Amino acid sequence: MSKTSEGGADSSTALAQATQTVTVPWYQQRVSNSYRRRQIWDKILKGLILVAVGLVLIPLLDMLYLFAYKGLTVISLSDLTESTTAGTGLGGGGIYNAITGSLLLLGISAAISVPLGIFSGVYMAEFAGEHNRYASIVRFFSDVLAGVPSIVLGYVGYLLFVLSAGWGYSALAGGLTLSILMLPYILRTTELSIKRVPDSIREGAIALGSTRTSMINKLTLRFAIPGIITGVMLAVSISFSETAPLLYTALFSNYPPTALLHQPVAYITGIVWTFSQMPGTGPHDLAYIASFVLLSLVFLVNFIARVVLKRFSKI
Amino acid sequence: MSGNQELAQEDVATQDLMTPNDGTGTRGGSGFSIRDLNVFYRNLHVLKGISLEVEPHKITVFMGPSGCGKSTLVRVLNRMNDHVEGFRHTGQVLLDGKNIYDSDVDPVLLKTKVGMVFQKPNPFPISIYDNVSFGPKIHKTFKSKDALDVIVQQSLEKAGLWDEVKDRLKTSAMRLSGGQQQRLCIARAIATLPEVILFDEPASALDPGSTAKVEELMVALKKNYTVVLVTHNMQQAARVANKVVFLYKGDIVEIGEPPAMFENPKNPLTEKYISGHLT
Repeated sequence: MSKTSEGGADSSTALAQATQTVTVPWYQQRVSNSYRRRQIWDKILKGLILVAVGLVLIPLLDMLYLFAYKGLTVISLSDLTESTTAGTGLGGGGIYNAITGSLLLLGISAAISVPLGIFSGVYMAEFAGEHNRYASIVRFFSDVLAGVPSIVLGYVGYLLFVLSAGWGYSALAGGLTLSILMLPYILRTTELSIKRVPDSIREGAIALGSTRTSMINKLTLRFAIPGIITGVMLAVSISFSETAPLLYTALFSNYPPTALLHQPVAYITGIVWTFSQMPGTGPHDLAYIASFVLLSLVFLVNFIARVVLKRFSKI
Repeated sequence: MSGNQELAQEDVATQDLMTPNDGTGTRGGSGFSIRDLNVFYRNLHVLKGISLEVEPHKITVFMGPSGCGKSTLVRVLNRMNDHVEGFRHTGQVLLDGKNIYDSDVDPVLLKTKVGMVFQKPNPFPISIYDNVSFGPKIHKTFKSKDALDVIVQQSLEKAGLWDEVKDRLKTSAMRLSGGQQQRLCIARAIATLPEVILFDEPASALDPGSTAKVEELMVALKKNYTVVLVTHNMQQAARVANKVVFLYKGDIVEIGEPPAMFENPKNPLTEKYISGHLT
């Protein structure tokens, strides 16, 4: 005991001697020789980050300005209530057929991919363990599917639904193709957000005599819902904005949809694609209007998602 | 599932949860009888031929260093290990004479009879009221909203938490302190009207004040429940136990009663553990 206290006294006197040689008060001392250099680097990197943010924001704001400004200056009510005609390029006509077509395609694709994606996500997270062979195969293919170019999926949809199933260019063929595109996003976000619910909660529920299904129903799903909604909204935005798969499966039409099969159907991105390539301001204006409507719809979807998320994350 | 229906037919609202429902004077006459139990995780032999009695209305403590198998043993008692990959067992675990691993025993029904409180407080991130009513709701053990209110209040009272939370039952359970959360978990376990309550190191994440409260609670609960406690803390074991089972590397080293077992251990291993030389 005495030995250690001697050692302590030794080191403290040594420390006192060391500090005595330094005459500068502590608050004027330098942290270290490299400190100044690190401070400069700190400033440079912060500057670079700001520049990067600016570079990202400029095209985004430019795009918003372009479509909002151009779209709003040329838009009129008739653009939303009339359909395109064979002579739309020469003036007259609107995008009513495309809005209704897009909503129909969204309805079909969501009706298929949302329940399917959520159910399989729940299965992957709650029932299939990490080492489950079947689950890892599904996980692998769903990741691959998310990376497949949409035009390739469009061609698959064309072969499968338009030709093999004999549905022709139709809302159902387009909607099914879109649902294949949406499925991996919903599946994976559902799986990941359910897995984030801690196991201690699962154990607590099981120990109270809860069955696995009622545990999922009452607890895990409830807390995974914000994540699931995010995934669904992402998928919905994708479904709104895709063009390539629909070129192969829905084609285009100058009329609002009245049937699910054997009837080509219009969609908003189709208007942008078609009319932005035509000469003259009339068609270009329509493309601007379509872009503006599309952006507004995507914004609306995200806005609704945020409101819903806020309500669910209250507790 | 017939047990649940019986529970549903009781009029819980008019009776104290602690009073007997069988006319014997007390609730919780159930005991375990473990016979030559071996447990494996894949090739790992975790429990090696365990035989012991867990008597009603007593606190039986499983004590031992980390990895001795005490948690595995307590989790066997309400079949929490069923879904652990590679789990298998031999031997018998009898609850009132019936092997809980028999194929005609419903593990869900077993869990309503044998409740559990975990090492880390694990309240559900919902309101205090919803936490306590979770069990009664899934098992439909109440007839009316009023009856459920009574269950929730009595469970919280038995867990010594009622006075602290009665004005904020609808707030999130996550806002409670660690000690309060653990007592909420005890209330939640009581609310399903079990016969046995298992405590798996319930105080290891709590401060001394909360620990003392949980210990008091366990002693109070043994009047009406059979209590099993897992701990590596022998002071705690000495304070609350009626019977101490000292486990080491999957074997029972010694079974005894405090304070005799701590003052005069029969086995040198027990002595080493008590003096802090066994890790």
